[in-house]
Amino acid sequence: MTIRPSQFEIHPSSGVPLFRQIVDQVQAMLAGKQLQPGEMLPSVRQMAAELGVNPMTISKAYTRLEAEGILERARGKGMVILPQPIQGTLAQRQRELEAAMQAAVVRGRQLGLNNNQIQNVLNKLLKEIPQ
Amino acid sequence: MTAAVIKTQGLEKRFGREQVLSGIDLHIEPGQIVGLIGTNGSGKSTLIKCLLGLLRRSGGSSHLFGEDSWNLSAQAKARLGYVSQEFAILPWMKVQAACDYTGAFYEHWDHPHVDRLLTEWELPRDKRVSTLSVGQRQKLAVILAMGHRPELLILDEPVASLDPVARRQFLQSLIEFSADEKKTILFSTHITSDLERIASHVAFLRQGLLGYCGELDTLKENCKRLRIHAASPLPGDLQIPGTVRSEINGPDALVTVTEFHAETVAILSRQWQARVMMEDLNLEEIFLEMSGFAANTPLMESTT
Repeated sequence: MTIRPSQFEIHPSSGVPLFRQIVDQVQAMLAGKQLQPGEMLPSVRQMAAELGVNPMTISKAYTRLEAEGILERARGKGMVILPQPIQGTLAQRQRELEAAMQAAVVRGRQLGLNNNQIQNVLNKLLKEIPQ
Repeated sequence: MTAAVIKTQGLEKRFGREQVLSGIDLHIEPGQIVGLIGTNGSGKSTLIKCLLGLLRRSGGSSHLFGEDSWNLSAQAKARLGYVSQEFAILPWMKVQAACDYTGAFYEHWDHPHVDRLLTEWELPRDKRVSTLSVGQRQKLAVILAMGHRPELLILDEPVASLDPVARRQFLQSLIEFSADEKKTILFSTHITSDLERIASHVAFLRQGLLGYCGELDTLKENCKRLRIHAASPLPGDLQIPGTVRSEINGPDALVTVTEFHAETVAILSRQWQARVMMEDLNLEEIFLEMSGFAANTPLMESTT
C-alpha cells in the first residue's frame, strides 16, 4: 500500500522548514501506526506536484529519513518503510523523551494545570496511540 | 564544485549620484531556486537588469554562464528566459501569433509544451494581446519565456498581478520546470508565501545591499525569536550570540537571533533564572526582523 500525498499536511508559511514538517509527519505516522513497515511513500515527483512544493524539499526529507533508518530506496518501486529496530539503552531513550516532554510540561504549567491534570492528558494520549 | 550560473563580485550600479546597488556578491549554482526578496525600491529590478546586461553596471563584475553580463553571446542568451515587470508583447497580435512569432526567434522552440501551457492556463488563442487582462498578459509573458526550455529562468515580480488560482498554476509550472535538476530559477518578489513553497535559497536585498543569502531551510532553522522572562531585571546590554534585534524591558526581553543554538536557552535560563521560550519565524517575519521593520512585535504575549 502506498500512502497518498494528500495525507501530508504542510504549512509553507510556518517557521519550521518544509522538509522537517514532512520528516516529522512520517515519524508521527509511524508512531501512530498509520504507516507500517513495508508500506510505500509516494515518489518525489508525485509529492512535489500534489503538495505544490519544490522537489528538492521532498528529496531532502526522504534523504533524512533514509539516514535515520526509517526508509529505504527500493529500486524502481520508490521509498519503502523499514521495520523499526529499537536503538539505544533504556536510559538513553528515556533521556530523549525527557527533552520532548519538558516542553509539554512547561506549557501545562503555563496553562495552570496541576500534576493530576497533566497526567490525565498523558494517559489519554497513551490510550490513543497503542503500543 | 559546479560552475556558477550567476556570479557577481562587488557589483555596483549608480544612476547619476544615486547609488542603487553597492557591492553585491551573488553566487547561484545550477539547480537552485532563488528568491530575491526586497522592499519596493531596494534595487531588485536593477540587479536583475545588470545581471542580464540590460543595464550597464557601474563597478564590480557580473557573469552569466561564465560570460560577462554586458557581452553575452547569442548562445548564452538562448539558454535563458526572462520576464520583466514591463513586458512588452506586440498589442495587436493574437495570442497564438505572439507564441509563433516569439518561437520563430529560437532554434529549439517547444511547440507542444507552449500549447499545453496555453490550454492549462486558459489563455484564449484568438484574442488580441491588447484585450487581455493584466494577469492574462503576465501568464502569456511567462509562457513565452519558457517556450525554448531555457536552463535559467529570471523572473521579475512574476506573480504580482496574478490571482490565487493563477499563482498556484504558475508555481506548479515552476515546479515542473525545476523537476530537471539542472534548471535554475531566480525570481524577485515580495510575496513570501509563494517563495516558501518553492525556493531552495533566498537572498535579501535592502537599500542596495545583499543581506542574508543562502538556503531557506538553514535560515528557518537558525533564525529564532527568544522570549525571556527573568527573575530579576535584565541588563540593557544582554549579550546573546547572533542577535539581530533585541527589546529589553525590565525582566522581560524579546531577542531575535540568527544563530540559534539549543544551549543558548539552557545558558540563559541558568544565568538569569529565566523562563525562555523559543519561537519559530516564517520567512516574512525573518525578513522584517532582519530589515529592522519588526519594531512593533508585542513584548508580552497576551496571557488569555
